[in-house]
This record gives sequence, structure tokens and C-alpha cells, in this order.
Amino acid sequence: MKKITILTLIFLPLACPGELFLEITKGSEDPFKVAIISFEGSASVSKKLNEVIRNDLNRTGEFDLLDASLLLPLIVEENEINYGDWNLLGMDYLVTGNIINMKNSTDVNYEIYDIQKKKKIRSSKVFGLPNQLRQLAHYTSDGIYESISGIKGIASTKLLYVIDVHSKNLNTRYRLMLADSDGANEQTLLSSSEPIISPSWSPDGKKVAYVSFETGLAKVYIQNIATGKRDSVLSKNTQISSPSWSPDGKYLSLTLYQDGNAEIYILRLRDQTLTRMTNQFAIDTESTWSPKGNKILFTSGRSGSPQIYELDLRRLNARAKRLSFEGSYNAKASYLPNEEGIIFVHRSNDGLFHIALKYKKENFLRILTEAKMDESPSVAPNGNMVIYGITEGDQSMLAGFSLSGASFKLPASQGEVREPAWSNFLR
Amino acid sequence: MKNSLNIAFASTALIIFTACSSLQVTEESISNQSVAGVTVSSKSSVAQAVLANAVVYFEYDKFTLTSQSIQALKGVVTLMQKNPKLTLSLEGHADERGTREYNLALGQRRSESVASYLVSNGINRSQLSVKSFGEERPLSLGSNDSAWSKNRRVEIK
Repeated sequence: MKKITILTLIFLPLACPGELFLEITKGSEDPFKVAIISFEGSASVSKKLNEVIRNDLNRTGEFDLLDASLLLPLIVEENEINYGDWNLLGMDYLVTGNIINMKNSTDVNYEIYDIQKKKKIRSSKVFGLPNQLRQLAHYTSDGIYESISGIKGIASTKLLYVIDVHSKNLNTRYRLMLADSDGANEQTLLSSSEPIISPSWSPDGKKVAYVSFETGLAKVYIQNIATGKRDSVLSKNTQISSPSWSPDGKYLSLTLYQDGNAEIYILRLRDQTLTRMTNQFAIDTESTWSPKGNKILFTSGRSGSPQIYELDLRRLNARAKRLSFEGSYNAKASYLPNEEGIIFVHRSNDGLFHIALKYKKENFLRILTEAKMDESPSVAPNGNMVIYGITEGDQSMLAGFSLSGASFKLPASQGEVREPAWSNFLR
Repeated sequence: MKNSLNIAFASTALIIFTACSSLQVTEESISNQSVAGVTVSSKSSVAQAVLANAVVYFEYDKFTLTSQSIQALKGVVTLMQKNPKLTLSLEGHADERGTREYNLALGQRRSESVASYLVSNGINRSQLSVKSFGEERPLSLGSNDSAWSKNRRVEIK
């Protein structure tokens, strides 16, 4: 009945220079066993779609996918499914689907079957432009992830990060990059001859704030992703850094240096009202908002070494509460989305830096990474994954882990990659 | 005609699926976000006839001046006294260990330490521009004690 005509040729480059390459290093111990039958449709499109979906699910570490080569690209009708056979293969779930290419759009339809319960649990359609195949795959894997794990997927979220490219004449070029959560579809937001640090997403994913040294002084800029329009935040002749967007998008917390020392301020974007939040002889910086927007975390040197503090914004003149007590260096903290814990950089007794997690209910911290100079952790919006910067040999790159124990790396083909920032949910 | 067919199909589907409460049915379109890249070029700094060109170094995690640093700064004070219109840029730096923002703040404390010493020795604060580059502009690229000690510095220009 359906007439499938492929009118649009989708160009799939074999390798994109500069892109990050996903490398899955470890999975979790009790994964969901899932068979995904290659989605019916044009061979090359189907292959690509399947590849992206499988990578997305593997990266979570929560899935054990049946080897695709064992499965024929069969057309599976619901009444033909032999649940007993899939059960014998040890499968928990079966996913089937098709891709329909039209002149100006591509549709992906997919179904998820629960093998134990012997029934269909999801029937979905995702559609987009023919050149959005990767996005279609990410939306599809998020749907699969959600139905099976019960948690919102993050394959369709995006990453910001900075690349330093050292060229032969020793002039370093700094680039603020935007990419899909798997490192693909990399695009340059800003290219500069001076350093760029601390990228931060607006909660709606439409703008970014970051620190650029292009004037010779650290300044915070807000840039619209779609238009490229950018503005310097505050016209003060002082260093400004460490921007963080409030969850409602109305405020930006910042570090200002006008008092001769790093102090935290909150800027109301609507009318540029500045409110000073800290007043200390010591360094106060690296503020981030709680998911509900009523507290901020920050790093302060007030105890003699950098430690993490929390400030309640609902109370006037509230005293900052110290949250970290182990070791002499704890910094750059952010909340888990459920606010049950914080993720931060911790220096161990051996002088090495690791990413650590501290649950509020526990009086000890958990060290989650094991390289030497692990930095800049950023938590995925579903709270299940953390992306951070590592250095291997002389090369810095992005790595990630899930709180269930899986890990992955995103090695870059060129440049030093650092300062990742995970977007909010974008769908 | 195609559209009306689709709607008919969709509503039929909805009826079937609502009868089966545990089945999730969704339809969504991909959001299409365009991206515009920007290139910025930095302004070159104004050249001064007289340059201080002194560098003072710091201990790990510290911003206090060492006796060696104070010796170097005495020369800067003399230069400033001879050239009262000279303005100086004090650029603080940190080694790569620790977080970038904390290092930016640490570099600032280091250049503030130098500024305080100069002011206490009669230099006008308005002649000093205090800034930090944190760990972003290392002098030495290695990841070892020797490189780190060269990078924990304030450059006086």
C-alpha cells in the first residue's frame, strides 16, 4: 500500500576530521537484554540509523544488545512475534521499526515489545528532514531508553566544549564547539586567538554564556546559537568569569573581580541588576545553581584551601554552608538533578585530581575516576551520566561515565578537548 | 486527501491504543536548530617605550611574595619612580593543576599581591592594571614540577 520512493540522497561522510570518536570502554553489570531488528528501509539509511541507535544505547552502559548480524532485516508484524523464541534467546525486549523517506521528510516508526509480558509497550513515530538522520536516531534511542529504563534519555541532548588547536607556528587557536551528545555533528560557535573557558548553557538550549579573553581581560559573553549574535555581559572595566544560568533562565551567576578579589554576584538579565552574594577576603568562584534555583554551590578558599559551599538564596544574609570536608582541594561542584548529591573535582592525598560524588545523606565521598588530572565534570540532565575532561599522555580529551558504572571516551582527532558542558533536555 | 487519510488512521490508532492502557504511543518531530559560528580577533596591546619585563614566581597554591620576588620588585619600584607616567600591566598566572576558574582567581590574587607591594612602596594604584590568565597561558608546556614552577608567576609588563 505504501509507496516508498527515495528521492533524496543522504550524504554520509565516512570520517569527519575534527569530530570526536566514541569509544565505549566499559558497561554495567546487569544490563537490559534487547534485540533490535534492523529498521526496514533503504539499506544505507537503515545501516546508519541502526549504528547510531546501537551506539547511543551502548554508551549508557545499561544495555546488552543482541548482535545485529545475527538478525535478518525481517519485516516483523505484531501477530507474527514468537515471544517464546525471543525468551529462549534471553531477550528482555524486542525493537522493530521502519524508515520512510519522502521528498522533504523522513519518518521513523518503531515498536517496542516486552518479551516477558508478551505484549507491545510502545509504538512511536519520529519525523524530520532527510538530513536529520542522526537526530532521528537519537530521538528513537531516547524513546527506547525511556520505555525500557523508565528514565528520560539524553541521546538527543548536546554538548559544548572547547578545543585548543596548536598549529606549527605555535599560535594556538581556541574554538568553542557544539556537538551531539555522541560527539558527532560538531560545529564551531566561536573561533578566537585567545583562550575560551567555562561554557554554560541557557536552560532552553538556545544560548550559551562563556568566558573569552579576546580583549586581554576575562569577560563573559552571551551568544545566540542560531544567529551568532553575541554581547559582553556588563560594561564594567573588571574581569568577569564563571557564568552559570539559573534554571528559569532569568539570572546569571558570575564571578566579578572589581573588589580586588573573586566574589560571586547574581545578575538579573532583564534589567542588569547586580546582587553581591559573597563578601570574603578569600576567593569565591565557580557558582552553579540548584535544579530548583533556590540555592547555589560555589568554591571558596575561606577555610585556607578550596572547598565547596552552598548558599540558600531564599534567606537574606544566609550563611554559606560548607559541604566538602575530605582533602585539601574540592572545587567546581554541581548538583545532581534530584539534588541528592553533588559532583565535583577532588584532589587526593597523592596530589592527583579526580571526579568525586558526595551524596547529601552520606558523610564520605566517592571517587569516580582514576586518571591524573580529571577536570570539569558536567552532569547529564537525567542525572545518569557525567562528562569530564581527562589527560592521557599529552592529549586532553573528553570522557564520561554513568553512575551505574559504565564509561566511555570521546577521543578527538585533533586538538586538546576540554571544558564540556551538557545541555538540558532539548526534546 | 493524503492528510485526511492520515488523520483517519491516527484516530483509529488512538482508539485501539487507549483500550490498552500500558501502551505508550508518541509522535514527535525533530527540532531544527541552526548554528552560526563567529570568529573574533584580539586587539594588539599598545607598545610602551619603557618595559619593566619582570617576572615573579610563586609557590603551589600560594599568592604570597617570596624574598626573591621582593628583590625583583624593588627594581620595578625604581623603574616606576624614574618614569612616573609609566603604566604597568600585572598579569597573574597559575600552573595547570586545579580547576580553571579557581586558577583564574588564584592568578588574580598573585597579581594583587604584586600590586599591593608596589602601592605600599609609593606607586600609584592608577598606574597598575591587575589581571589574570589563570592556567590558560603557560610559559612551559610540560606536566612536571619544573614546568609548573615556571608557570606560577606574575608577568610585569
